[in-house]
Amino acid sequence: MKIKLTVNGKKYERDASESKNLLHFIREDLGLTGTKEGCGAGECGACTVIMDGKTVNSCLVLAVEADGTTIQTVEGEAKNGKLSKLQTAFKANHAVQCGFCTAGMLMSSRALLNKNPKPTVDEIKHAIEGNFCRCTGYTQIIEAVQDASGQLKKRGGLKRA
Amino acid sequence: MLQDFGYLAPKSLTELYAVLKKNSGKAIILAGGTDVIVNMHNGCVAPATLVDIKKIAELGGIKYNSKTGLSIGATVTCVEVAENKDVIKHYPLLAKAVGEIGSPQLRNRATVAGNVCTASPCADSSCALMALGASVELSSADGVRAVALKDFFLGPKKTQIKPHEVLTRITVPADMTGAAYGMNKLKRIKGHDIALVSVAIAKTEKIMRVAVGSAAPTPVVTKDLAANATLKETLSAVSAVAKPIDDVRASKDYREFMISNYVEQIYTELFNAKGCKK
Amino acid sequence: MLDTIPSKDLKHIGKPVERDDAIEKLTGQALYTGDLEFAGMLHAKLLRSPYARAKIISIDISKAQKLPGVHAVLTGKDLHYRVGLYLVDKHIMAKHVTRHFGEAVAAVAAETPEIAQKAVDLIKVEYEELTPFLDATKVFDKDVPLVHPDLGRYSYIKEVFTPVPGTNIANHTKLRKGDVEEGFKNADYVFEREYTNPNVQHVPMETHIAIGKWDIGDRITIYTSAQSPFTVRNLFSFSFGISHSNIRVITPYVGGGFGGKAGIGLEPLVCCLSKAAGGRHVKLQATREEEFSLLPCRSGLTYRIKTGVMKSGKILAQKMTMFWDAGAYADYAVNVTRASGFSASGPYEIENAWVDAYSVYTNKPFGTAYRGFGHVEFSWGVERQMNYIADRLSIDPFEFRKINAIKPGSKTMTGEVITDHSGNVTKCMETVAKAINYGKLTATEKARELKTGMKIGKSVVALHKAPAMPSMTGTVVILKLNEDASVTVNHALTEIGMGTYTSLRQIIAEVLRWPVERIKIPIENDTDRDPYDWQTVASKGLLLSGNAAILAAQDLLDKCYDIAAQALRAMKCDLDHDAEKVFVRHKHESFITFKQMSVGYAYPNGNAICGPVVAIGRYIAQGLTNLDKENSQGYPAIDWTFGAHGVITEVNPKTGAFNVIKVASAYDVGRVINEESVRGQAIGGMIQGLGTAMCEGYIYNKDGKLLNPSFTDNKIPTALDLPEEIECFAVETPQVDGPFGARGVGEHSMIAVCGGVGNAIEKAVGADLTHMPIRAEDVWKALQKKLKPVKAKKK
Repeated sequence: MKIKLTVNGKKYERDASESKNLLHFIREDLGLTGTKEGCGAGECGACTVIMDGKTVNSCLVLAVEADGTTIQTVEGEAKNGKLSKLQTAFKANHAVQCGFCTAGMLMSSRALLNKNPKPTVDEIKHAIEGNFCRCTGYTQIIEAVQDASGQLKKRGGLKRA
Repeated sequence: MLQDFGYLAPKSLTELYAVLKKNSGKAIILAGGTDVIVNMHNGCVAPATLVDIKKIAELGGIKYNSKTGLSIGATVTCVEVAENKDVIKHYPLLAKAVGEIGSPQLRNRATVAGNVCTASPCADSSCALMALGASVELSSADGVRAVALKDFFLGPKKTQIKPHEVLTRITVPADMTGAAYGMNKLKRIKGHDIALVSVAIAKTEKIMRVAVGSAAPTPVVTKDLAANATLKETLSAVSAVAKPIDDVRASKDYREFMISNYVEQIYTELFNAKGCKK
Repeated sequence: MLDTIPSKDLKHIGKPVERDDAIEKLTGQALYTGDLEFAGMLHAKLLRSPYARAKIISIDISKAQKLPGVHAVLTGKDLHYRVGLYLVDKHIMAKHVTRHFGEAVAAVAAETPEIAQKAVDLIKVEYEELTPFLDATKVFDKDVPLVHPDLGRYSYIKEVFTPVPGTNIANHTKLRKGDVEEGFKNADYVFEREYTNPNVQHVPMETHIAIGKWDIGDRITIYTSAQSPFTVRNLFSFSFGISHSNIRVITPYVGGGFGGKAGIGLEPLVCCLSKAAGGRHVKLQATREEEFSLLPCRSGLTYRIKTGVMKSGKILAQKMTMFWDAGAYADYAVNVTRASGFSASGPYEIENAWVDAYSVYTNKPFGTAYRGFGHVEFSWGVERQMNYIADRLSIDPFEFRKINAIKPGSKTMTGEVITDHSGNVTKCMETVAKAINYGKLTATEKARELKTGMKIGKSVVALHKAPAMPSMTGTVVILKLNEDASVTVNHALTEIGMGTYTSLRQIIAEVLRWPVERIKIPIENDTDRDPYDWQTVASKGLLLSGNAAILAAQDLLDKCYDIAAQALRAMKCDLDHDAEKVFVRHKHESFITFKQMSVGYAYPNGNAICGPVVAIGRYIAQGLTNLDKENSQGYPAIDWTFGAHGVITEVNPKTGAFNVIKVASAYDVGRVINEESVRGQAIGGMIQGLGTAMCEGYIYNKDGKLLNPSFTDNKIPTALDLPEEIECFAVETPQVDGPFGARGVGEHSMIAVCGGVGNAIEKAVGADLTHMPIRAEDVWKALQKKLKPVKAKKK
């Protein structure tokens, strides 16, 4: 079925298989492999993209359902070869370890900051609650979002005994 | 996805009825997809066709009227209900219950109607809706019929929806506007989880209802209780409908205990007039 | 080495240098194995056993083979190879019998995953269901089903392991120190209890995945999400009889491992499918459900501890019996048995110790390495036992731990003497105790109790772990000097998320006195190109590779000094260097730049000397010994990392619901190389430990079927499950033979969290918990049968 959609500001027109989900369509048909599959069942959030301004698990959206929508994936976060403030904050706050959850985490954080430029820690936790991370323990990710929104008093936190 | 299936997206109800009739038994309605696609992933269902109802304008929209109450279209998402000003003001129990379903990503797609139609015994929205005395409108080429939600569920994943029928709207009566409420649900983690048990209470000056989830083959609700029912009467009414079991998530004993505990806790808050909070 | 340099004199060491690989991961450019595509690549899908134990009567693959788009269909009987890290007991797919729920029985390679799945659905298997063996503690019962009746015929590493043929014992590790019966005789009190925990899944965010290609001429290429490319290569060579030089293993970006990807997994199967499909690439990505039941997990443990103690609080003797529920294949589990055997008492000195650790075969998904390598599982028992004893002796549990804590001069269970520079567990405990105001409730906490009706409890727990690795574990780091005086590093430690690569860059930059930005470590490892590294496990990466990196950097300087001495006609002893050049110390204008030396130096007239600069640093563990098979005495530990947690919980005394208010953690890391990497490991591991403590664990029915093979009922912590407050401390007692005095800390942060939580809950409401995970319901059940405080009875 022919679908038209805008992804990261670029218009696409493609013939999408009706039984393909948006995650696989983005990865295979559009060649944007930054968005990952972690469970295929809408639990882990690794496949999170922003669709018409809202985060969705792209493994639970059919490609054909995305006809006429505007989508942002992780590849759309940096502009003109420069990391966004959010990405820079993730890097500066050690919010990336294995990186597999990172694309989804960024999209959930991006959607939050788009709606709420100065979120509280609680609001950040709720926004990323549907994104599993097994490596970081979330804390440095939360600090990165605080940092990106100008709310982090000091980076880091290891104390010496 | 690993299964092959077709996709149809009718643009009107008439078209939808025709599609349902033609694909009788082999089509499943696709609204938010957060249950259907997961069930397909797990191999629980294998429809030949998914029928997307999101392009049907009549199925959208949240309407509120002080005389007729609340009407939620079948394609309205959880986040739309949770953030709707009228729902928050007039039916805060529903806003809260729906706002706690799943994760943000799931709430942005899942529809309340879909949550109801999935008919899981632990459906978060159903308890709140049943406590509020909600009904559903089931439509087909032959017309529309309203079914009280308390009568809608027939068993786990089974509802009154006939073949060729579709749930088009959920209605919540005006006489529950501004009802005092409380709800609580037991989960294994603070993050998104299926409710191990859940309790929702809505109380007006005239009546009180307690709905319980994950305690029977369907979500259940007590008979209408007097607004000044005692705690003992309330607990008794609850134990008449809530019969939890042992499973991998929790034991029967703990579920029974927590149901009573939640009822007692919410009842106390409501009757101490401390306001409507968990 | 370089452990005595004061921190203030170090430029890069100790700083929170940002990770280089973060950019690729943040922009979606990082290519993981699942992102790789090859021309003509096929996709594999598996058919898996629905039974815990069954005989395969027949498999009909005829319809599957005929499906258009299918290139290969294999069953166990097509594959005559066995794999095993230590005990070679596993066929690539089940052959004649299936031994666990979820075991692979048939595999298809086809042009799309959809066709492969359709083909799998067309395969018909006839099983005869057999009675499974599911309870590891019943290993000595008569007439139990044998998971491996042929155990006596398997090859295994005889120096280290002791399987018992004719039983379900894959390994029996014995530790005998002193005289434990005499110790019990002399003790004032003896306490004996049992503690249990279930199988748990690693849950890396990236499931297991491999791409295999088996070319004509038996040349193999494998792309895999793995922690140990050289181990994959080695085991492959052993199992298939192919030269190491003809097996190429490449690990691109890896989305987490936690031990689950430490050995060999899907690689043999995808390669066999490739061979059957005429040499095309074959990709197999495990679904999340397969991750839970096809791929290995963490062994379960039933731990019986008998402790003899004086009324003063000094432990005299301890007898420890471990029944490891290791599942259907030995894999790593036999080594977990051994390694935990020699640490099984925790960081406490036990004069007289006796350990029997059994790795027991059961008909369940099998256990492999898991962060902590057995320590999380036994620490639960140890830390609960410490509190149990202390309470009955009316000694504060923290004081009790201090009385028995390992100190300089203590002997470990294997007879090793702890020194001043082994690490300081008492300091770790004191640090966290202070951070949680241990021993009292603050005014704020008291007010909180009054307001909420919850009860607050606090605990201090301790931990230690040494890398469990072969006594001759070594590694190599190669530095290649580029024309612009940047350096590209070759080594085969894999970056599975822990951030060691950044620490290595800091170490190299420190020795070279260069900016860290000029040190580049490519993420992809390639056994054809990179030098050997044993595995990325055991928290040994920073130590061994860090030392090798120092030696490599020193070698680079030495080689450059050799060139400079010639070119400048100076003696090496008169040379020095800075970030750009090597110069004569007493005549700075006489210098030669690293750029000039990089690919060979040419004099102004054109004469050339030396050649491209490549430096090598090799490091190997020294002085380690194998453990005596009869008593486990020996020197297995290259270093010990000690640590402690202070945990504050609040508990609802009615419902058992609890919150973790604070976790303060301290680790003696020797020297902090990268502050935020240490903190990332500390918090990440602590949260993973909380998951084990509160909500994770496999649930089986009585037939051995896994009832929670997905995230629906196998929960892991989310951002909402964090403790309200987290504090992380580093203690720095330098490791003399560690790089700049550093030790690893990758696993340690998980180890004692469960005991910390369990003890704090007991302190709050008196609920006695001996099984993990601790759910609200378990606390509630324990409250129903709350033990009254019991004074210890004399024997």
